[in-house]
Amino acid sequence: MLRSASGAFINVVRKSLVPASRVSSVIPARWSHDGPVESDEEFDARYEAFFNRKDIDGWEVRKGMNDLCGMDLVPDPKIIKAAMHACRRVNDYALAIRFLEACKDKCGPRVGEIYPYIIQEIKPTLTELGIETPEEIGYDKPELALKNVFDM
Amino acid sequence: MANLLLRRALLDAVRVPIGARASSELAKVGNREWVGYGFNGQPNYVDRPDFPLPAVRFRADTPDIKVLREKEKGDWRKLTLEEKKALYRASFCQTFAEFQAPTGEWKGAVGWALCIASLSVWIYMAMKLFVYSPLPASFDDEHQKAQLKRMLDLKVNPVDGLSSKWDYENNRWK
Repeated sequence: MLRSASGAFINVVRKSLVPASRVSSVIPARWSHDGPVESDEEFDARYEAFFNRKDIDGWEVRKGMNDLCGMDLVPDPKIIKAAMHACRRVNDYALAIRFLEACKDKCGPRVGEIYPYIIQEIKPTLTELGIETPEEIGYDKPELALKNVFDM
Repeated sequence: MANLLLRRALLDAVRVPIGARASSELAKVGNREWVGYGFNGQPNYVDRPDFPLPAVRFRADTPDIKVLREKEKGDWRKLTLEEKKALYRASFCQTFAEFQAPTGEWKGAVGWALCIASLSVWIYMAMKLFVYSPLPASFDDEHQKAQLKRMLDLKVNPVDGLSSKWDYENNRWK
């Protein structure tokens, strides 16, 4: 652990003292523990390509979405559009709605700023595929109530 | 369907003792379709904001759900709102809004906390009335004044404390 910590420190020092030419295009936006550094654009492109695979199946779509929702980020509208197309390919409408709800939840306290932007960006795709937003379906407010298991 | 058979076959191939979790989880799944990895790889259903897509569908496929699934393969614009909602409820138990809705549990918690706090005050009053002996005579005003006079006569803490605040020439507080 100490060796890797010093490695990261030396990396930071090196980057700040000697701006190496090779790092000009790659902005280290996400540091994993000594792993390879990927820029935001590369990350977005990777996930977009993943969801755009023609042969993707329901299992992979769900795994990709769960992984994405586990990360400390709000999925880019590009990725969400690709995910919507993936849902269409696997013929699962509920999946699309669930993913949109999850993306809204990922916005956290800034949902008022981020979520309208996302919807604005993906609206053409939603209209093209015939997917409603959670608000249009009525799932932005609770519809049904479930009895608490501890009160039974 | 083929996916489910393949996964059950894989599970049988990696036969583990009966006590292992996967077989007991699979026993509870019944006819429901195992559609994803979920949050731990087991075929379970939990509504979680951090793992929004559970491993199994919430409901097993009944004939009317099967009809909807066929319709789902076509144009989604042809589905009515009710059908879309039915498809959602077939795959999921609660929406995000529902499982994140406030429960009002805090009201009960605060209420009970205040009740127990007031009970403790009642208990103290009962102790004072029935258990504690009366205060000794030396606590009344006359005795306290006599004790203070004695402390001043003894010149207790004359530098910075009690007696330093007493004006001995004029017999009053400074």
